[in-house]
Amino acid sequence: MNTLPAREFRWKKLGKVFDPTRVEGPEWMKEFAQAPSVLIFDDFIRVYFSCRPLPDKNGQYVSYTGYVDLDRNNLFDVVNISERPILDLGATGTFDEFGIYPVSVIRNGDEILAFYGGWTRCESVPFNVSIGLAVSRDHGETFTRLGNGPVLTHSVHEPFIISGPKIRFYNGMWHLWYIAGRRWIESGGRMEPVYKIRKAHSNDGIHWEKEDRDLIPDKLDENEAQASPDVFYFREQYHMFYCYRHGTDYRGPRGYRIGYASSDNLTDWIRDDSTVGLDISDSGWDNESIAYPHVFELDGQIFMFYLGNQVGRYGFGLAQLENA
Amino acid sequence: MKWKKLGKIFDPREHKLPNNCFAFAQSPQTLVFDDFVRVYFSTREKDSTEKYLSHISFVDFSKNFEKILEVSENAVIPLGNAGCFDEHGIFPLNILKVSDKLLGYICGWSRRTSVSVETAIGLAVSDDDGLTFRRIGDGPVLSASLHEPFLVGDPFVQIYDGLYHMWYIYGTRWFRHSEAAPPDRVYKIGHAASADGFSWKKTGKQLIADKLNSDECQALPTVIRFNDQYHMFFCYRQAIGFREKKDSAYRIGYASSHDLINWVRDDASAGLDTSAGQWDSDMLCYPHVFHCDGNVYMLYNGNEFGRFGFGLALLDH
Repeated sequence: MNTLPAREFRWKKLGKVFDPTRVEGPEWMKEFAQAPSVLIFDDFIRVYFSCRPLPDKNGQYVSYTGYVDLDRNNLFDVVNISERPILDLGATGTFDEFGIYPVSVIRNGDEILAFYGGWTRCESVPFNVSIGLAVSRDHGETFTRLGNGPVLTHSVHEPFIISGPKIRFYNGMWHLWYIAGRRWIESGGRMEPVYKIRKAHSNDGIHWEKEDRDLIPDKLDENEAQASPDVFYFREQYHMFYCYRHGTDYRGPRGYRIGYASSDNLTDWIRDDSTVGLDISDSGWDNESIAYPHVFELDGQIFMFYLGNQVGRYGFGLAQLENA
Repeated sequence: MKWKKLGKIFDPREHKLPNNCFAFAQSPQTLVFDDFVRVYFSTREKDSTEKYLSHISFVDFSKNFEKILEVSENAVIPLGNAGCFDEHGIFPLNILKVSDKLLGYICGWSRRTSVSVETAIGLAVSDDDGLTFRRIGDGPVLSASLHEPFLVGDPFVQIYDGLYHMWYIYGTRWFRHSEAAPPDRVYKIGHAASADGFSWKKTGKQLIADKLNSDECQALPTVIRFNDQYHMFFCYRQAIGFREKKDSAYRIGYASSHDLINWVRDDASAGLDTSAGQWDSDMLCYPHVFHCDGNVYMLYNGNEFGRFGFGLALLDH
């Protein structure tokens, strides 16, 4: 193994892995395969993602979370697709009544924990999000909520949209990276949310203490939206891949790009997007935007799942780190 | 307890209120000064969609409550920003004076699509003796959690033995009593404690046992200490039929405690009931109990949730 941190990552794009619009999937999995999160088994890897049935008569979507199992020796070989969502939508009036998206999973002994964004619909703005927790005792096929309410929600300086959880366990403690809404801005007749990457920690995974500060300085401007803070530890350093976009008019080329920051101590992060080593393609499924990175190690190799155009409407793809 | 009703003391229709408010003076909450008593209340305007927005106003009374000295001419606190917990209403605003600080605990309302509303509790401070309040941040200090999934509201904060105590309500379920009906809600009284009034730890249990049934709705706890005991007044009602049926509407409940955590409910001791033919003939709700010049008073709302104002009662020791 190398001993020095890479100054610049070199990712080789391997192509799209799963496209929900190209399979004869269930009704709840017609479009989108968003925010992939990996759980590794002996013979396969399970990739959780969030998907949607066709919109209702008012054009509104709900999100469910399911998974595909990929052959551990050939990640382009889909060996299984979940028959049911891993979790039903929440009861009337609860925080997760209209969507379970995104999801981040982690093993905890024999159990598997899923932290997820739960969506509710509002009147003046389209939605709000809080983070919920569910547990699986059947190897991640189905999950049960710990309660009908969230484990992480709005607070004085994080007034709405607590979403995008990424759960990790480092140094005997639970760490949860997430995004927190900052403001809603009106643009072209729509209300668009601005959100920033933040973090909380916990001894038990249920009671969380927020750090209450932005982790990643803005690059574009104050309305930059940051998402998917995916932290990965290797070579004695913490690496965060995330995505960021413009605050308005982002459905197209002003959409998400993947950014990068590093830390030695989980507290101080240095943003350096120039080293990320992954950009949009000249053509194809990811030629407008790339989003929701998830980095994992498998059999000595380092991979990244990520979304292409329209934030995963047509599935997710895979890249491999060449200079690992 | 024995209360002497002193009648309705404020009718919002008789005054010009800021924010285009035209009716309702709900959930009166006091700030007692040396020479007058300021009573904050929630009053309503209608927005362009004919839905209500609740705003905070106040009225200043002489200390014997026989004279209205002033009614607020300006907004006490603006409603929250787009997408925030208090965007569509503040109801109520509970005031706590802590040495030289004046804290206002906000019950903020924001509209939802599948249910009518969600609430959470925020914090604001005043630097001008309560004429105006400004939020410490756009978000809440107490909101939904794993086992209190929605409708955290109705804060009432007091400091006892150096610790901040908040009594509040939390929702337990939304349900439809018929297919055509919009969802109705059920909520219960809870408690949280804090060393600084800002960071709160929930006790995590229903404080007051149900009397009517498990769908009983309990609201607006107010706590006072006298005779070496803590006394809580609150209001409670049936989950359905509470707007139109007198027998299902809000009544005043009562519980007592020696330790602020364990409460014994005894509504028969509340000592306040409806008065036939009066402004409070069908409903009693949103009690607020306080000390003033050696007396213990209760402010409360009557029929139609305080549409026509609030009244006062004096505890007969």
